[in-house]
Amino acid sequence: MALETERKTEAIFISSPAQKQKDRILLLLRLVAFFATASATIVMALNKQTNTLVVATIGNNPIKASLTAKFQHTPAFVFFVVANSMASFHNLLILVVEIVGHKIDYKGLRLAIIAILDMLIVVLAAAGDGAAVFMAELGKNGNSHARWNKICDKFQTFCDHGSGALIASFVGLILLLIINIISIAKLFNPKSYNTI
Amino acid sequence: MAKTKRLCTLLCRLMALGATVSAAIVMATSHEKANFYSVSFEAKYSHTPAFKYFMIANAIVSVYGVLVLFLPSESLLWRLVVALDVVFTMLLTSSISAALAIAQVGKHGNSYAGWLPICGQVPNYCGHVKGALAAGFIGVILYLLLILYSIHSVLDPLLLRKN
Repeated sequence: MALETERKTEAIFISSPAQKQKDRILLLLRLVAFFATASATIVMALNKQTNTLVVATIGNNPIKASLTAKFQHTPAFVFFVVANSMASFHNLLILVVEIVGHKIDYKGLRLAIIAILDMLIVVLAAAGDGAAVFMAELGKNGNSHARWNKICDKFQTFCDHGSGALIASFVGLILLLIINIISIAKLFNPKSYNTI
Repeated sequence: MAKTKRLCTLLCRLMALGATVSAAIVMATSHEKANFYSVSFEAKYSHTPAFKYFMIANAIVSVYGVLVLFLPSESLLWRLVVALDVVFTMLLTSSISAALAIAQVGKHGNSYAGWLPICGQVPNYCGHVKGALAAGFIGVILYLLLILYSIHSVLDPLLLRKN
């Protein structure tokens, strides 16, 4: 009985070289996902374009008004920036924990905690992406039924930067999903780990 | 213990199924025609890609929910169900988020882009869509609880297993 309780509180990770290789690949995937989400955040946060348009003409003088397109004008893009920044922060944290704190554990639940956190972040990042993609589609095509004009023909750079950020965010999301499913699969095969 | 767990999972999945089915159906039946200064407005869910995506995503998740209910209790496929749950929750959250973003523009407009709100002209359509979004949101919350519960119910016997 004492031996069993001892084993319950000790977590010994015995990893073969093949397992170490798989761990390194997972780490590499997470690094790429971190860069993808971080770049998506930064590109969208710096997305701004000012355009001067001729609004009216009085006599021979055209009246120009300068309009700015910023990401803060749309709540969907604000949510996109916030969600991607949280996802990149989570990736960074897990990377640091996996590289530096290799032996840190909590009652043998390390894998489970990482898997659950990953799940929540995948769901959050997917929500941010969904909102931003449809808002960008609305800006690009407009909506004739609601009499909403498209804005991408006047603000081309804004739209281009936005689509770049969206693509980076989708790459990060797919990688995060793959990492999460691999982590869940690891939970089902505790043969490679001697926990408890 | 196993029977309580089975009952709990079944109940949760049944409620989530109800939520997603009602979200899909309510969104699909939203339709209104209005006349505004001799300009006729017709509002339908299929005019907006975000609402179409919302309806299709909820329909897909409902079909998945029905299929999972028929899974026998001790089958090995429950492990696949845990992973598939995550994927479908992700689909659901992205669909509700997209629909909410477009519905927010429809309700408040966007003064910077020159987009006027349309809820003043078609209030019944707006109320209908609000109901669908509320049902979808309940479905998302239930699915989030489900993925946490699946991990818990699959994990416990594994953690306590002896070498």
